[in-house]
Order: sequence, then C-alpha cells, then structure tokens
Amino acid sequence: MKKALVTALLIIAAIPFLFAAAALPPHGDPNTPVQTGASAYYLEHGAEEAGAENIVTDVILNYRGLDTNGEVTVIFTGFAAAFAVLLPISLIRSRTEPVSELPASPVVRFAVRLLAPFTALFSIYVILYGHVSPGGGFQGGAILGGLFIVLSAALDPARIRRLIPRQAGPWLRAAAPIAFVSMGILGLILTGSYLGFPTSEAQSAVRTGMLIVIEIGIGVGGAVIFATLFSEMEAQ
Amino acid sequence: MFASVWTNLDYVVPVVLFFIGLYVIIAKNNLIKKFLGLNIMETAIFSFVIALGVLDGGTPPIMGPDAHPPYTSPLPQALILTGIVVAVSTTALALSLIIRIYQQRGTIEADELREME
Repeated sequence: MKKALVTALLIIAAIPFLFAAAALPPHGDPNTPVQTGASAYYLEHGAEEAGAENIVTDVILNYRGLDTNGEVTVIFTGFAAAFAVLLPISLIRSRTEPVSELPASPVVRFAVRLLAPFTALFSIYVILYGHVSPGGGFQGGAILGGLFIVLSAALDPARIRRLIPRQAGPWLRAAAPIAFVSMGILGLILTGSYLGFPTSEAQSAVRTGMLIVIEIGIGVGGAVIFATLFSEMEAQ
Repeated sequence: MFASVWTNLDYVVPVVLFFIGLYVIIAKNNLIKKFLGLNIMETAIFSFVIALGVLDGGTPPIMGPDAHPPYTSPLPQALILTGIVVAVSTTALALSLIIRIYQQRGTIEADELREME
C-alpha cells in the first residue's frame, strides 16, 4: 500500500522532468552551450597552453586546478572522518586474534598472484601516462587500490597491510593534498600566483612535470586511502 | 513529444534512473539499501552531465598526431571525474557510520532504530 503510494507520487513528480528532458536540444547537437562555451577554447588552446595533450587532464589540473585542489581536500577530509568513526571500535577490540576463516581456494590465490604484477604495472602506466592518453591519477589510484583490496581478500591480509609502511602511512594518505599544495607553492614562486603554471614555450617541460607530480600524488594518495579503508572495515 | 523523447533518450534514461534511486531511498528500510539508492541517484546525475557533452561523431578530446575534430566536450568529463571520487568518499563515510550504528544498536533497519528512541 505504502509502496504503491510512493510509486504513484514519484511518477507524478517525474513527469515534469521527462518533459524538460524532451525539450532539451537534441542529443549530440554541436551548437549547444556545452560545446560552444569554455570547451571550445580549451580544445583549441589546451594542448599548447596547459601542458597536457589530454584536454580532460588540462581542465582538471590546470584550468580548474583550484577546484580540484579543494576537491582532493574534501576527499581526504571525508576519509579522515570515516577513519575517525571506525578507529575507536578497532582499538577497543584487539585485532590480534582473527576469526578463523576459510582460506581462499588455491586456484583463486594463484590467479591473484599471477595477475598482481600486471595490474600494478597497468595502474602505474595509467597514472604516469594520464596526460597523453585516457587515464590519470584518479583512475590509476582506483586500480592500484583495487589491487590492494583483491590481494588482502585472497591472501593473508596482515601481510598485505605491511606493504604500506607504518610510519609513512599518514603521509601517503595525505599525498594528494600535499602534492597539490606543494605544486601550488612552486607555481607561486615561478609565476606569482597560487597554482600558476608557467605559460612560455620554453617552460613546457616544467608545466608537464608539475602536472605529472600532481597525478602521482593523487594516484598514490587514492590507492593508499582505498587500501587502508578496506583493511579498517575488514578488521571490524 | 514522443519523437523528442526518442532523440533525447540519453537525457530521459537518467531521469528514470534518478527516480528509481529516490524510490529506493524512500521505500526501503535497510540503511545500506538506502545508500545504494543514493548511489543510483548519483549515477543518474553523472550520466546526465556526461551525456550533455557528447557530440555526434565526436572523438576523445586528446590531442596527438592522429587526433581530428570534432571533439567531445572535455568540461563535463572533468567535472564528473572529480564528482565520482567525492561520491566514493561520501559512500565510505556512510558505510563506516552504518558499521558503527550496527555495533551500537544491533540493527540497521530504519523503523527498528526509530522505535528505540
């Protein structure tokens, strides 16, 4: 009864949205504001001006770099809050005696071991090559974090957790904001404005180098955050 | 109307997806299912904004030796890439709060939690 009422109400609420969707310019039309506005400028000048052949990377890290800087900080704060919620429980419960659980089958363990080096290589490729091909820090970091999660689900989690050194852990988790802020300050020194990228032709290598440092920071930070979060949740 | 619904199917499907997510949030009782609904809504928004940037016959906006126009608009893709990661971090925070609620109260059903107050 209640579900039927909710369904009816939502269908009524959806009708104006459907009309609006139908009244939008046709899908794929080249004359919409999305195509003719800032995008046209980015596509025309991005590759020379911003330092990366992948225009999406240019937009994220150069033209809208300040946005992404704030957004990376939001992610870090979100995960810090998640740790703050999770940590008190795992401190109360000593995590020394794990519940005896069934080990993964030999086939699964062998397949995971076989694929791990290639996955790691692919994620590093995606992170480092994100400025000239599809990819970048966020995507490569997600792949690397997924690798950590698969490894600790199939193999011994305690051994995988040791892959991230204990002392460096907090710094690695904050790698994305740290890389962003340090490159922002480098931009301040070089050009006089925070996150300013040198624009002259001669300094294009510096520009691309700054983009790559930020990509590596985002990738490492994302991967370590995913891995730590999974092992924290698993410890519950 | 129906002809334009068909040409704008890429905008209509996110609307449907959005309301499916809203239905899940309202009708389901389990907190994890409610957050799955929220994730469905987020996916609807992401696919809508991505669809706005698509161009007929457009190629990826990556300049190189064999790149040729027309290019797909890079701006929606860049905006949504960061949006996806923020969505992941809110999901992580929500899941850890749900773990905490379960350990404190022993249930994650919304109506049982309401009765406890």
